[in-house]
Amino acid sequence: MDSPPVILQVEGIFLTFGGVMALNGVSLAVRHGEIFSIIGPNGAGKTSLLNCINGLYRPQRGRILFNGQDITRLPAHRRARMGIARTFQKTELFKNMTVLDNVRLGRHIHMKTNLLDALIYWGRAEWEELAHRAFIEEEILDLLEIGHLRHRVVGMLPYGLQKRVDLARALALEPRLLLLDEPMAGLNLEEVEDMARFILEINENPRWGVTCVLVEHDMGVVMDLSHRVAVLNFGNKIAEGPPEEIQNNPVVIQAYLGEEAAYATRR
Amino acid sequence: MRMRLPSGVFYQTYRQDQALWPTTFVKLRMWGLLVFLFVIFPQIASPYWLSLANLVGYTILSAMGVQLLIGYTGQVTLGHAAFIAAGAYTCAVLVLQYHVPYPLAFLAAMIVAGLWSMLFGLPSARVKGFYLIMTTMAAQFITVDFIITQYVSRIGERGHSFSLPPGTLSIGPWVIQSDRDIYYLMIALVTLSVLAMTNLARTRIGRAWMAIRDHDIAAEALGINIVAYKLLAFFMAGVFGGVAGAFWIANLYAVSPEHFTWSWSLWLVGVILIGGLGSNYGTIFGSLFMTLVMEALRNIVTWLTPFFPSLETSFLFVKEAAFGLAIILFLLYEPNGLAYRWWQIKNYIHLWPFSYE
Repeated sequence: MDSPPVILQVEGIFLTFGGVMALNGVSLAVRHGEIFSIIGPNGAGKTSLLNCINGLYRPQRGRILFNGQDITRLPAHRRARMGIARTFQKTELFKNMTVLDNVRLGRHIHMKTNLLDALIYWGRAEWEELAHRAFIEEEILDLLEIGHLRHRVVGMLPYGLQKRVDLARALALEPRLLLLDEPMAGLNLEEVEDMARFILEINENPRWGVTCVLVEHDMGVVMDLSHRVAVLNFGNKIAEGPPEEIQNNPVVIQAYLGEEAAYATRR
Repeated sequence: MRMRLPSGVFYQTYRQDQALWPTTFVKLRMWGLLVFLFVIFPQIASPYWLSLANLVGYTILSAMGVQLLIGYTGQVTLGHAAFIAAGAYTCAVLVLQYHVPYPLAFLAAMIVAGLWSMLFGLPSARVKGFYLIMTTMAAQFITVDFIITQYVSRIGERGHSFSLPPGTLSIGPWVIQSDRDIYYLMIALVTLSVLAMTNLARTRIGRAWMAIRDHDIAAEALGINIVAYKLLAFFMAGVFGGVAGAFWIANLYAVSPEHFTWSWSLWLVGVILIGGLGSNYGTIFGSLFMTLVMEALRNIVTWLTPFFPSLETSFLFVKEAAFGLAIILFLLYEPNGLAYRWWQIKNYIHLWPFSYE
């Protein structure tokens, strides 16, 4: 089988906080159109890795290539413009703003209004606001089924819906690569199923065709959604492969369940 | 088309939903207000009320930049009088020394104040909170107490102050002389500034500022260049300061550094705290409240002076004490400011008699 080209290449990333080694030479390659999951026990460095890819942390060593271009030294906002979007573990939304304003902020990089247009408003700025409003309503809020919440203040919404707004905001960037940091955390079963449905839609529908990097603890979701899975433990990558392979990998089982359990399953 | 149903107003286009004045009632109300402010009030008001209105307008224009920085962008500033002074002195020097027409000098004042403010906004790229407060205070002392007092004031050997007798300033054939002339200038500038601020707040620039205020890390991840937008906020705040300064020299007989003290910077922060952060209503209500309450206090003191002769001399202290007390009371009992109370009253009227959702 012909494998699609690599969109994101991480080469030997080292990241330390003081004396703590968060990432110890992690390398991986994500291909176009994949759902690539990163799993591992708590504190394994999964979120740190996302932060490095996204530009919020800068690794001490190693390179990150996006579509073949070295982005290791670029600030986060430049990477967002290149097509890397993310959601956050604890929904870092603008809580005092409405759903619509949150998603509008996701459109920031696609808007062109300059200071003069903005001051005058009538004319170009208004036209742009209306065009993007239509895009947000018809492409994003409809897709994620939150159209009825458009004027609600985000901080007042239940957690499951906040997670969805977070996804909507990231999607508004029309990214090529979407980093999802525990999108299922704290959701009930029904909400998990909805979220999984949205992620599949974003990934598979050619309208979006977004490559996803998923950090998640819910193994059922990871095994069902992902094309490939990488396992981190104490900042090291200990395994990588298709979900079925990872499930039966003794090293992974040992990392998750400990020495004796690994021994038990092997028997 | 707009649908008016018993359950509320429903819009059928995005344009209607995003309109500034969405319903006919709001349109009528706002046009009525504008007609009152532009036509009726200047005709019926006495010179005393006109000069009071001018003071309110000056406070609004001055507080606009502070509101932009603190209320919209979350960058606390305690030196805004410096940029008002930069505007006032740029305008005064250009008019008196180089005989530049007032409108041109006005524009130059806006730009100079904006750039000057941006210069002092540079530290905001690295520091936040208390440290930023210190750097903005430095702006105040460097600009007013050092540069303006020591150097700018001495341009043209005028001594300490720049004399601007009424009639010095004119826009084309219109000579700005009386309080009524100043009022017309003021109300036009306030309307334009409020409109400009509203427009900024509803486009990508204002939203980027609010994103930085609420959550700078998330803003950065959305592709917002935080440093650039902070500097833009300082620039625009300076421009508003320049407008305030260049306008105010029309009202002054002489410009001197004492008009732009640090306590005026502090006063402006008090104005927006009492009015409410992050809205034009906050700026306007705060300015009205602070100016009118202080004027009422002055009147009470004048009225009581025959009975308590020592009051007259201590009015300054009464004023400062009232300012402090007002801020404490507002922070305790109305931390969201007058604008929030106004919003609540409007909501109450909207929902009456079914005040539940």
